[in-house]
Formats: sequence, C-alpha cells, structure tokens
Amino acid sequence: MAASVRLLTAVPICDGHDSAISTINLEFIHHGIEVVYLGYHRSARDIVRAAIQEGVDAIGISSYNGGHVEFFAEVVALLKKQRAAKIGVFGGGGGTITKADATIMQRKGVDRIFFAGTPMEEMIRFAREAYGGRRRRSVKLPRFSAGKRKTMAPCIGITGPGGAGKTTLIDELVLRWLKVQPDARIAILSHDPSIVGKGALLGDRATMIYSQDDRVFMRSLATRGRAGGLSPETAQWVRTMKHGGFDVVFVETVGIGQEAMPFRSKLVDKSIFVMSADYGSQLQLQKIAMLDVADIVVVNKGDLAGAPTAVAEVGRRIERGRSGQRVIATVAKRHRDPGVDCLFEELRS
Amino acid sequence: MSALARICESVEAHARFVREQIRRAREDSKFRAALLKRWRAIRASIATVQTPTGIELPTLALPTSNDPGEIARYLFGEGFPGEFPFVNSIYREMYLPGSGGRMPEEPTRLFAGLGLAEDTNERFHYLTQHQRSIRLSTAFDGPTLYGMDSDADGVFGKIGEGGVAIDTVEDMERLYDRFALGDERLSVSMTINGPAPIILAMYVAAAQRRFGGKVIRKLRGTVQADILKEVQAQNEIIFPLEASLRFLADMVAHTTEHLPRWYPISISGYHIGEAGATPVQQAAYTLSNGFTYVELFRGRGLAVDRFGPRLSFFLDCGLDVEYVALARVCRKLWAIGMRDVFGAGEAAQRLKLHTQTSGRSLIALGFKNNLTRTAIELFLAYLNATNSCHSNSADEPFTTPGEEYVRLAAHAQSILLEETGLFRHMMNLFTGSPGMRILEETLEKAILEEFRTIDRLGGVLAATEQRYQRSQIQEAAHLYEQQTGDGTRPIIGLNRYPASTESFVEPKVVRTPRSRKQLQVDRLRKFKHRHRHQSARALDELAGVVESGGNVFAELLKTVECCSLGQITGRLFEVVGRFRPSV
Ligand code: B12
Repeated sequence: MAASVRLLTAVPICDGHDSAISTINLEFIHHGIEVVYLGYHRSARDIVRAAIQEGVDAIGISSYNGGHVEFFAEVVALLKKQRAAKIGVFGGGGGTITKADATIMQRKGVDRIFFAGTPMEEMIRFAREAYGGRRRRSVKLPRFSAGKRKTMAPCIGITGPGGAGKTTLIDELVLRWLKVQPDARIAILSHDPSIVGKGALLGDRATMIYSQDDRVFMRSLATRGRAGGLSPETAQWVRTMKHGGFDVVFVETVGIGQEAMPFRSKLVDKSIFVMSADYGSQLQLQKIAMLDVADIVVVNKGDLAGAPTAVAEVGRRIERGRSGQRVIATVAKRHRDPGVDCLFEELRS
Repeated sequence: MSALARICESVEAHARFVREQIRRAREDSKFRAALLKRWRAIRASIATVQTPTGIELPTLALPTSNDPGEIARYLFGEGFPGEFPFVNSIYREMYLPGSGGRMPEEPTRLFAGLGLAEDTNERFHYLTQHQRSIRLSTAFDGPTLYGMDSDADGVFGKIGEGGVAIDTVEDMERLYDRFALGDERLSVSMTINGPAPIILAMYVAAAQRRFGGKVIRKLRGTVQADILKEVQAQNEIIFPLEASLRFLADMVAHTTEHLPRWYPISISGYHIGEAGATPVQQAAYTLSNGFTYVELFRGRGLAVDRFGPRLSFFLDCGLDVEYVALARVCRKLWAIGMRDVFGAGEAAQRLKLHTQTSGRSLIALGFKNNLTRTAIELFLAYLNATNSCHSNSADEPFTTPGEEYVRLAAHAQSILLEETGLFRHMMNLFTGSPGMRILEETLEKAILEEFRTIDRLGGVLAATEQRYQRSQIQEAAHLYEQQTGDGTRPIIGLNRYPASTESFVEPKVVRTPRSRKQLQVDRLRKFKHRHRHQSARALDELAGVVESGGNVFAELLKTVECCSLGQITGRLFEVVGRFRPSV
C-alpha cells in the first residue's frame, strides 16, 4: 500500500534553522506521510528540481532567516516555469513570517503558512486534506529529466551495511562524472527504510550535495520494511532509468545484513559492495554473502587505523571466491580521494 | 585512556579529595587549626557595605556554619570566589561597584546586526551610548554566515536580514566606524563560524587600514569559530570537518602569537540548547567539545597555558530548573579537567562565560510576556556569575529587535544589576542553598554520564560523525514540542490561559529595504571590478598555502585585501571540498 501523501521538505538557502522541520518531519511520518527531506541551506532551484524528480504532492518550507516572501515566490514561479504548478507549496517560520507577509505569499500562490504556536495536529490534518489522494504516482520520468543517449545505460548497483558510506561514495562518483564529462546525464535510484508506522523519511538527498544538479535525476524509494533492501517499484524504475537516455544509472540499496544479496536476476550490470574497514573479526568476513558475488568490493574509511589489515584480509577472502573481483580502498569523505578516483576509473573503463 | 574517561576519573578523584579534607578538618587537629586560621583571615578580609536603607552587609556571603567540615567543603569543594574549582565565580569580585560607585566594566553585551554595515554601526552607537566599556557583539546575515557573496544566485532576499551583510574588508571598515578598535575598554565579538577565519582576517585588515599595524596587538574581542557545535546544532559549517578544524587551528596559532588579547574561539552551548537539547546535554556536549579543542591545539604544538586562557564559553539560560546551577557545574568540571588532565595553570582553568537568555522560550502569542521570561532568565544568568550577558528582546520571535524592545532588554540588565539590591551589595547572595546543592550534584552526575557515553562511541569526533549529538538533540526537541502540545510543559498564553486570537498583535518588524540590498550588491560588484587584476593571483596564492600546509590565516590577511568573502570560500571549496551535511 502506497502512502497517500508524499512531501518534500527543506529549509531555504542561507538558513540552518532545522529544528522545527526536523520535528515536523517526524510528526508527518508518524502519521503515515512519506517525506523526502532535502535538508537546510537549499536553493529554490534545488528544491523545485528535487520536488519534480521525486514526484511529490507538495513542498513544505521552513524559513527563519528572512527573505521568505521572495524565496517562496521564487519556488512557486520555478514550479510554474517547469509546468509543475500542481505541486503545492506551504510552510512556516514561527513569528518571522508575519500575518501580513502570509497574506502576500498566499496571493503569490503559497497554499498556507503556519504561524508560531500552531498545534502539530493542525499541520498534519492540513497536509492530508490538501494534498491527500491527489494523483497516482506512476513510474515515469518527468519531462526535462531524460538524457539524450540512445543506447541502454549501464546500471551499477551499490550495496553494503548501514553506515559504510554508500551514499557519500555515489555522490563523490557523481562529482567526478559531471566534471570529466560535461554532457553527462546520471540517474540515481536510492532506497531508504521506512520507520515504524506508516510513513517514511527519505533523507539521502540532504547528504548528496553534488547530485543536486540539473544533469542528475534522482528518485528516492521507501522500502517499507521489505527484505532485501529494495522496493516493489525498484525493478520498474531501473528499467525506466536504463532506457531514459542516461550515461549511467546507480542503484543504492538500504543498509543490508550479512546474508543479504539484494541484486537478483540481472537487475544491475555491475555490483559494488561497500564496507567499512572496521567490520570486526575475520569470522565476520566469512559470513558476508555479497563478498562472493560483488564485482567490486570497496573498503571504505581507509583512514581508520586497521584499514591496511582490513584490505589485505578482504583480498584474501575474495581470492577464494570467484575470479575477476577487485578490492579498492577508499576514504569517501575525503575530498579528491585517490581511492575514489581509482573506483571511478574502473567504472568508466 | 581517552581524555573524557580521564576527566570523569579526575572529577571522582577530586570528590574523594574533598571528602578527605572534610574528614581531616573534623578529625585532624593540626589541619583544623590551619584551616580555621585561614578562614578567619578570609572573613577579616571581607569589606562591609552600607545599603541605601542603612543596613550593613559584608560584600561577600560566606557559609555561616562554624563546622570545620563545612568550611573545608566550601573551600575545597566549591572554592572561594576566584579560586579552584571556581564553582562560585572565576574572579573574586563580579558585579560589585568599583571605586566610582559603578561597575568597572558592564557585563551587558547585546548581540546586534541588521541591514548594511552602516545600519549596524548606527545600532552599535545607539546601544553603547551610555556605556563606559564598549562591548560590541555582531550578528551576520545568512549569506555571510554561509560564506556567500551578496550577489550570489538566489540570496538577494536574505541580504541584511537577521544580521549584517559583510562581503569585503571595506564593509568591515564601515561596520566599526567611529569606534576606537585599539582601545582598552572596547571589545568586539563576532558570531561567525564556517567562514570565521576569513571574517576575522577582514576585521584585522580593516583595523590595520584604519589605525596602522600597531593596533593589531591591542585588538580585543572574540570570534565564535566553534565548528563542532555547527555540525551538532547550528548548521553553519561550510568546509569538511577536517579542513575546518585545520583552518581553526591555524587561526588560533596565529592569534595566540599576534593578537594576544583575542579570544579565537567561543565554545558554545547556546546553539545546542536552542536547537532543543536539554540543559544536561547542552553542558555535556559543550564541555566535551571544549576538551576536544584543547587536545587538537595541543596536537598542533601549542602550549595549553598559551591558548588555554584565550578559550571562552557561551551558554544558554532558559526557564528550566537546571539553569539555577548549570554554569556553576560547568566551571567546576572545566577547571578539574584542565588542571588534572591537561596540566593547565590557573588562567586556563577559568571558564570565561558569556550567557544569552533563551530565545526559544520566547513566545509569539502574547509576546509582551517575554519581558517577564527574559527578566527571570537574566536573574538566573547572573546568579551563575556569568562574565557577560545578552538579554533577548520581547519581539524575539518575530524580528531582529526594534529599538524600543532592545532598549527594554538592555535596561532589564541595568535594573537587575544597578537598581535592585540583588547583586550590587553582596556577592554570592544566593549560593549554598540546599536546593542549589542538590541540583549541582544531580547535574554533575548526569553530565559525567554523557561524557562516558560519548567516550564509548569513540570520543567527540567519532560521536559527532555518527550523528550522536545531533540525534539526541533532535529527539529532545521533538519531546519538547510534544510536551508543549499536550500541556505537560505549561506555556502561559499558549497552552495555558491563552489569549483570544483576535486580540493578537504583532510588533513592528525590522526589514532591509530592496534599495539597501541593491546598494550592497552594487558596491560589492565595484569592489570586485576594482580588484579584478589582483584577485586571481591572491586566490592562487591562498590555494598554494592550503595545499602546502602553511598557515592559512596568515595568508588570508593578505587575500582579504582584494578578494570578497564569496571569492575566497569559492576557491577554498575547490581545494578542500564542501561540508557534507548529515541531517
Ligand atoms: C532556535 C533558534 C535558533 C537556533 C536554531 C537551531 C536549529 N538547528 O534549528 C540557533 C541558536 C542555532 C539560531 C541561530 C540563528 N538565528 Co535563530 N532563532 C531560533 C528561535 C529562538 C526559535 C526558532 C524555532 O526553532 N522554534 C521552534 C519551532 C518548532 O516553533 P515555531 O518557530 O514557532 O514554528 C511553528 C510554526 O511556524 C510551524 N512551522 C515552522 N516551520 C514550518 C514548516 C512547515 C512545512 C510547516 C507545515 C510548519 C512550520 O511549526 C511550529 C509549531 O507550531 C527564533 C526566535 C523564536 N523565539 O521564534 C530565532 C530566530 C528565528 N533566529 C534568528 C536569527 C537572526 C538567527 C541567526 C541568523 C543569528 C545570527 N546572526 O547568527 C542564526 C542563524 C542560524 C542559521 N544556521 O541559519 C531570528 C530571525 C530574524 C529575522 N528573520 O528577521 C529569530 C526570529 C530571532 C531574532 N529575533 O533575532 N536560532
């Protein structure tokens, strides 16, 4: 069962007041709403692009550092320009958005501003009533998003335990791709586990700073607790993306357990297993199923003290598996990391 | 063993030491005699004062008990004001009037920033017109806080909102115009973090332009520059953490050497508290961040007794009961950690404290009630012997304060310190009550428990990277809103005795007109055009210093002469990358 309301929330550019929206996000998802959270300090362009790509019903903006009349108006205008005016816009900013401002903003196309002191239930009720059951979400690329490539795009699957650095790694690869190939078009399919309850908080976009680019199409899916770290819609999306004219498609799973092997039946063309250098004992290593099948094993967090040993151990573990596998050590969080460069070269070749 | 674990042990060892002194005071007659002799000398040294109503009081309140054990507990456990472990205060005299019948230096320091540099300059002159000591505290606008130029894409609406717009060294000259920056009694504080080294470099360069190179050693002030709490709470870190910490250490190394009167970091709990943390979380994260900086700077080869005395702190003060004693406990834990774990001398053991009353406790509905809330918080802040203090204006939920409410906020401090008899006759009037002691013990235990948790996660840096502090703060913030919603946290005028919505009034808001914003954009463009031949080379040189491992701050002093804030951050992003948020 798909959630009935899907929203994108964010805090405007040059604003880091995220306390209100973090709480509101939690309230939304506890009440069955799916929220794609873009984070703080986000431009109107990033917000509108993400909203269209994610196919949300509405955008919720929490603004405190002033300039809200201009900012909300910019979001509404951009939506119109992209022919996505059906996406609603609402928000709040405590007392900083005065009643008089709210009137102007509503005249400019904002649906509703929530003033300081509004009970949470009122916002949830509004979101459900105003945006619930608006339309059916289809697996379709929005206009402007598709690339120009005629052939099918290679699809790279990235998996690994939670906290290993998958998201950061993809974003660093995207950064390199866009730089090396100025006309590159990239698609990313990202998965997030749902929280208990009916909603889901999809937060990968907030971390993927370089992927918020007109040349990148990204879609976040909630796995709703489904085993295997993927969603019922995954296969369909992968197919659509492969045929979408992109130069490469990345599929990122949620954090997986030791026995999991999320990519089945040729879903992806190449698979990368990302693990942290602090995986624990050698015994743990034996149990990891993905090490038998991944094309590339990335040992991330190579700056940890035990990293060289880890790389050697993983190398030995793999030798006994199937041939042609590669092990690459990276420090994805480091800017211009040579390990990530090496992985990038490997993927491009 | 990690620093935090050692600090926990030292605090426990100190408690044992105090118990031992109490025992000796009671059982060891020689020890007791010496102690009582010292006690009598202390007593005799305390002056008396006559109140306007004619009663006579000592200027310092000491325990009245003659029990040697109690005296030992006070002297070793709390410390006489100005003495280790500084529970009561870091100096012997705090707000008592000096020889002229007035305080030598007012602790009032109001945070201000609005519009363009000239507008804020005017506000600074307004705020300090009656003060003998000039304490300026600067709020920057969003684009400046995020290291962006006013002509950057999509930021026009934010120029000069919530703080002052600063793009270039020329703006910095305008900002503090008609203030004598080298003056003994002037100090400037700047709330800036991600781009702190660049902004401080602009300040130094502007001072030098106006007063010549000799002024640099005399500059007094503080730059916030606490990057750890940005990752945890305020969200203004712009470069990756590793690079940010290196830029910070470069700046500290430089100021320690060349700006001996500067405080290059203000280790801040305020933003942690305002983001929603409980007071215990606030204290624990702030102190542990502080100790992390000490380790970092020592790792850079700086001596703890050189930089230690130049560290300062910034805490929140709200309406929760913990605030009756929070800063007292923080002073103690800092002093013990610095002395026993880092071997610091007395100057570096003193936790120098700026306090701000809580903005989050101020409510839009029935906003004039905020005058009362702030007055109570102010009282608590001074009860905790803060060294300086900002009081929020009643219009806080809406806007950068208007003049009327700023004046009321400033006067609230004068009323408390100068008009009432609470702080001007006697120091420590309220300390030592049983309730306060119970609170201190409870808080200390809870803070140490947090230290242990952080330690188990691998220390402050590892915990921060794992989002530990962030997730704890967010959880506490959520709970706070839930409690407000269901009424377990009564808020007058909101969930209890609410006013009717028709009677709701908003104060007048302070906004920057479009024409002012345009002026800022225009003059920035002119600056860039004028320096177009020098800027590219200056940026290359800066990049070279970053790559080669030289002192970035020293180089920035040159770069800011011909480059704007956004040009500099833009180039640094290319070299070190951008901060990747984990929300
Ligand atoms: C908390 C706070 C902070 C914290 C933020 C921590 C964090 N991570 O969020 C800290 C201390 C770090 C901070 C810093 C700053 N702050 Co501040 N801050 C506040 C404060 C006190 C409360 C805001 C808040 O979170 N309230 C709690 C929320 C839950 O309640 P609420 O605001 O009433 O919102 C309700 C509704 O509006 C609605 N809502 C809000 N957003 C949304 C979004 C959606 C989609 C929906 C449906 C509803 C909704 O939900 C709430 C419940 O009813 C306000 C003043 C105040 N009392 O309101 C100033 C305030 C917003 N800050 C202000 C300023 C200027 C700053 C700084 C720029 C100061 C500076 N120059 O350094 C910095 C910038 C920080 C940054 N990175 O951008 C100004 C803004 C002035 C202006 N616009 O003219 C204010 C108004 C204070 C003031 N008067 O100066 N701040």
